[in-house]
Amino acid sequence: MNGRTKVALGVAALLAVVLALLWYRDVSRPGSLTLEFRARSDGGPLVLNEFAYDNPGGAGRVKVRDFQFFVSNVRLGGAAGQFVEPDSYHLLRFDNAERAFTIQLTGVPRLEYDYLEFLVGVDADANASIRAVGDLDPNGRMAWNWEVGYKFVLFEGGLLVDDVQIPLVYHVGFDASARRVRFDLGTLFADAPDERRMFDVDVMRLFDGETPIDMQALSNVKFDRDDARRIASNFSRLIEYMPPAS
Amino acid sequence: MAERRDARRGRTAVVVSLASAAFALTGYLWWGNHELPPTPLAEFEAPFVFGRFNVPADNPLTVEAVQLGRRLFYDPRLSGTNALSCATCHVQALAFTDGKRTAIGASGRPLDFNSMSLTNLLWGPQRFFWNGRAASLEAQALQPIEHPDEMDQDLDALLAELETDAQYVVLFERAYGEISQTAVARALASFERTLVSANSKYDQYLRGETKLTAEEEHGRKLFMAHPDIKVSLRGGNCIDCHSQFLTSGFSTAYDGFSNNGLDAEEELGEGLQVTTGDPAHRGMFKVPTLRNVELTAPYMHDGRFATLEEVLAHYDHGIKPSRTLSPLIAEADNRVKGVDQDISLHLTVTEQRDIIAFLRTLTDRDFVANPAFANPFVVSTP
Ligand code: HEC
Ligand code: HEC
Repeated sequence: MNGRTKVALGVAALLAVVLALLWYRDVSRPGSLTLEFRARSDGGPLVLNEFAYDNPGGAGRVKVRDFQFFVSNVRLGGAAGQFVEPDSYHLLRFDNAERAFTIQLTGVPRLEYDYLEFLVGVDADANASIRAVGDLDPNGRMAWNWEVGYKFVLFEGGLLVDDVQIPLVYHVGFDASARRVRFDLGTLFADAPDERRMFDVDVMRLFDGETPIDMQALSNVKFDRDDARRIASNFSRLIEYMPPAS
Repeated sequence: MAERRDARRGRTAVVVSLASAAFALTGYLWWGNHELPPTPLAEFEAPFVFGRFNVPADNPLTVEAVQLGRRLFYDPRLSGTNALSCATCHVQALAFTDGKRTAIGASGRPLDFNSMSLTNLLWGPQRFFWNGRAASLEAQALQPIEHPDEMDQDLDALLAELETDAQYVVLFERAYGEISQTAVARALASFERTLVSANSKYDQYLRGETKLTAEEEHGRKLFMAHPDIKVSLRGGNCIDCHSQFLTSGFSTAYDGFSNNGLDAEEELGEGLQVTTGDPAHRGMFKVPTLRNVELTAPYMHDGRFATLEEVLAHYDHGIKPSRTLSPLIAEADNRVKGVDQDISLHLTVTEQRDIIAFLRTLTDRDFVANPAFANPFVVSTP
């Protein structure tokens, strides 16, 4: 072998290494998962500030003026491994033109996951703290006060019955109200490192559980634990996964 | 000999190529996963309970900017008549308000609005003016200068005037490298951001340094609770809109604007609708901070209430209904609501008095006497 052949071989080896590393970088590059939540009720995008919905358990029409809620501790889990979003506290709100809110998970290892899981509400540790983590803000609208913690779900609006407007105030909190929900998202990252999955959020389902709630009889929920439990029992119905059309 | 040298040279070439490739790749992989950290703020502190705040990236807080801003704030040359400065309507001793029902400026015609306290502006709603029409402190700062009823000063004329002052030339140069409208706005905004009030009795109580009296503590509890008769919880519901530590409005979206029932439908002012064009925002005004509220009378956007007693009487039984009235106010009641849905908190006289006692714990004597916020043109004589 003369010197020139050796240099050529060296360059070839180098190219091989470069290509291998590039390939490795691509498959090992973490993925991103965008969770898009769209507020929809009655088959259409959420209507705000109008008496647009029926009272599920009684008479009158319902106006949604403000609707926000916390989602926390978002993670992907399965036999192959899990991904836990750091500082995972999201305040979902829909008072934008799209009536949508997105959570973007980045740096997600591209493994096979069995489920996506999160809490509708705030976990007990964070609920007892005044640290501002993620969207948690002790000076925010969702804070009750430092002795009580956060509202998990906030719904404010009105009910129109017989020409009388009744204010509606649902501030649902307390540790016991938080609900863990799980969704099977199927295979992620099979074709691409960036995935987007859609969810529908129907605020009226908070009142339309096994026994529909008459919003006139229960026009506000704040600190009464039984009332909070009644609404919280419907937290798990609030969000529905809409699998991509295949 | 020659062959061995060649072999060595060949090997060296491979080693060097591999090493440089590895180096380049490490860089490539590393770059892909990292972002540069933001520059931290120096020498600026605020209480933990106030939470996060943002200073615009294009106007970092610097000693030079704050020094310049303070001078501009107190300089009557900023007005067309050279007779009034920002401090004419924002007086430190009154927590940067003016004690007038509505402000009076260069034209002598009373303005539509009550001057606002300039306190803890880094937190709470990041839109400014009672109707939120300024999107930043920088965007706000030039408006009163130009407004014919406020300072009535042409901005180009102002810049020309500032350029004749050797001291300003140096101060602007050091802070922003030039004299410009943008630099004037940025300097004023920087000074305003330093106006932090965090040593009231309430702050001392939060830090565990002092205790509240029984009345103040009772008032605090009422302030911090939305009433719920179902669980026998009495409350003044103030925290529904005035946050627990800052006592200002909320910083998210337009959550820091609300209709607190000052006017009935027919008289309702436009409020936030001016800014958003949304009829659902009619009659909503910026929820002001209550820090130093004892010093900021008269109250509300039009200065209609002279005393805190009148304010409490309003919240207790003076609410006027309208389409955009906050449902939290409409619903809040310390008694079972009658069929007619009349709006009243039904607080006792003692409860109202104790809430006022709590509001007085928000007075920060250090803030209103802080020499760093005072008029730099006045040479203090001992
Ligand atoms: C003539 C009296 C007057 C003068 C002079 C004046 N202001 Fe004001 N200021 C007011 C009034 C009144 C308001 C509320 C106006 C409104 O909402 O439309 C206000 C509001 C503000 C706000 C909004 C605060 C908030 O929380 O939204 C800031 C900031 C401010 N002024 C800064 C300044 C600065 C800086 C200057 C000098 C360049 C200045 N003002 C000069 C009367 C005055
Ligand atoms: C629904 C929201 C809401 C609630 C509840 C509320 N406020 Fe307010 N507060 C506001 C708004 C909005 C303003 C400014 C209104 C305006 O001027 O148009 C205001 C203004 C004030 C002011 C005048 C401050 C100033 O500098 O002019 C005081 C004092 C005050 N509130 C105290 C209280 C107290 C005490 C309570 C509880 C009893 C309370 N607020 C409950 C929204 C609220």
